[in-house]
Amino acid sequence: MSTVDLVGLDAFLRLVGDDLGLDVEGGAGADLALADVPGWDSLNLLRLVALLEESGHHVPVHRLLEAQSLRDIHTLVKEYG
Amino acid sequence: MTTGLDQLRDLRKRGLLEKAYDQVAGVLAQEGPGGARADTAAVGRLLAGLDPGAVLSHHPATPVVTVAVTGQSTVGQVLDPLRGELARHGLLLRAVLGEHGTYLRDLTDPAGELHTAAPDLTLCLLDAETVFEQVPGVWRPEDVEAAAADVLARCAALADAAPGTLVLNTLPLPWTYSRQLIDHRSRARLGAVWREFNARLLRLTERSPAPVVIDLDPLVAEGGPVTDPALARYAKVRLGAPLLAGYAREVAHLARALRGATRKCLVLDLDHTLWDGVLAEEGPDGIAAAGTLRGEAFGAFQTCVRQLASQGVLLAVSSKNDPAEVARVLADHPDLVLREGDFVAVNANWDPKDGNLADIARRLDLGTDALVFADDSPAERAQVRHGLPEVAVVPLDGEPATHVARLLADGWFDVPSLTEEDRARNGQYRALGERRKLREGSGSHEEFLRALDVRLETGPPQPHEAARIAQLTLRTNQFNLAGGGLTEAAVAEVAADAGRQVLVARCSDRFGDNGLVGAALITEAAGQWHLDNLWISCRVLGRGVEHAFLAVLLSRARRHGLTAVGARHVPTARNHRARDLYPSCGFVARELPEPGEHGDGTSAYLHDLLVLPGIPGHICVTESGKAPR
Repeated sequence: MSTVDLVGLDAFLRLVGDDLGLDVEGGAGADLALADVPGWDSLNLLRLVALLEESGHHVPVHRLLEAQSLRDIHTLVKEYG
Repeated sequence: MTTGLDQLRDLRKRGLLEKAYDQVAGVLAQEGPGGARADTAAVGRLLAGLDPGAVLSHHPATPVVTVAVTGQSTVGQVLDPLRGELARHGLLLRAVLGEHGTYLRDLTDPAGELHTAAPDLTLCLLDAETVFEQVPGVWRPEDVEAAAADVLARCAALADAAPGTLVLNTLPLPWTYSRQLIDHRSRARLGAVWREFNARLLRLTERSPAPVVIDLDPLVAEGGPVTDPALARYAKVRLGAPLLAGYAREVAHLARALRGATRKCLVLDLDHTLWDGVLAEEGPDGIAAAGTLRGEAFGAFQTCVRQLASQGVLLAVSSKNDPAEVARVLADHPDLVLREGDFVAVNANWDPKDGNLADIARRLDLGTDALVFADDSPAERAQVRHGLPEVAVVPLDGEPATHVARLLADGWFDVPSLTEEDRARNGQYRALGERRKLREGSGSHEEFLRALDVRLETGPPQPHEAARIAQLTLRTNQFNLAGGGLTEAAVAEVAADAGRQVLVARCSDRFGDNGLVGAALITEAAGQWHLDNLWISCRVLGRGVEHAFLAVLLSRARRHGLTAVGARHVPTARNHRARDLYPSCGFVARELPEPGEHGDGTSAYLHDLLVLPGIPGHICVTESGKAPR
């Protein structure tokens, strides 16, 4: 599967917005605690794991589960490529 | 290419997803990569943000399926693919999710959230940990055997305690347990113990009609690992996404079947669908369904189709061909598995296929939403999708080796259980054709009815008829007076309830036995009967059977010393034909006790049993179980 370019925070938030149906585009949701992201529920982290795999990014699951915000997750995506 | 998923994303961005929910099934039915499983989960993810209340305010008739989900591990992940799969069939998911690991309490606590949600389906997702959590830290196959026996006993008890139809699953055995035994003899023993446990779990469905057990083995065999080790370890997700996607598809088919939305007739194209080659161009010698590599693939598809037909799926043909030539090929081409007698209708002509499908449905007394259409030509499929969007379309392509899998992928004909009536259905529909010939040869409708020699037998059902009653009530749309139906478990509940009963009608005529064709659900209170619902199979309509059945019910009520019989007609999308049944049998419309509560157009009726309607003269009626209950 071709890897989706998620180096830019905007591209990452757009993917999250499109595929998880969350309104986080525009950067406003990036630093919120995940639980405070509008529409967030406990399944969204698992959805994000699947979504990142599908888009060609392999971030260790335990690191994703420890992330506090979407910006944290984006940092991990950049770190692991 | 724009996929269905892209179109849904676009609708969501424009804030139109709730308003356009009635288009979602159509959008997802479009061909292209939209049918792949990963995409269905993505569709479900996208739809997760939907407000079901808003969908219903725009489209109040949207069928809602309430599904409670619980299990051994983190099982909420199944909701996305399930939501997507249900959306493909126009259904809307209302989900109730239990806490992880609390399935025993979830299923058995009558005051708990899962019970109070009154779900249609309760999914209890089990995995290998359900057994292994009871096994000591250092173990042998015997320890697993003992733990599995405990789990089995628990599952058997849950089957009766769970709300709605309980869905269990077989447990895949992870490689990582098997390989912890280093000798082959012990591994074999563990494998045998495990399979015996799964087999007993599957056999729970023979003991009680309540649970459904989904066999995960065929889904695992189809591909995808059972689990992702990291998600299993850190997030307690022990059933992986590909497996849950396959499982969700099965559950959606089950939900559809329990709503009675099972399709009844498979309409097939011929050239490049049932055989290799084009009859009109190459003649009978130029087509093949055996003898060549490609031909054998078509032969295998025909064999699969015949297997479906043996269980009551009606077969028909819609093909652009010369009818005489098609008749000749179906009669004597040496390659064919299917013959003319296997089809209840063969429409070979040059007319548009949507018109042909409508004609086939009309001749069989079916709605077009009972049809599945399989064709290799994208143009023909598009034409049918456009003209008859309610027909399910199976996209075959130029690779006949995939025809079988494509036909079976959507479980269009799945039912909770099969009855002898199902197996005999193709013969009954051929008898329908013979009746039509008799009608055409009779001078008047009355002469035809007299010549038909209709016999009707009514009375309480036999114990073995519960499955057939459930099926009749769930699959009857037109003569379903109050909407809804009874699952097999509900039929069993009625049988155990002193205040309620089911009475049934069986019908035959000179062309054959139609079996159980009518059912009435009756509540008795304060010296009156109330007909909670009445179902008559559309196969016997037009012969006065519905009037005869009702007349017998009324006379039975009077004989039992009752003072009146109440009834109601609740309009649905399909039962307008039955609207006048109660008035035509002498029932009088009455005010509903609380006007305004039934904004759905419900009509209530009462019959005072003073003047009973007559039984149509051409029908010979016998009654069983005459003694009062």
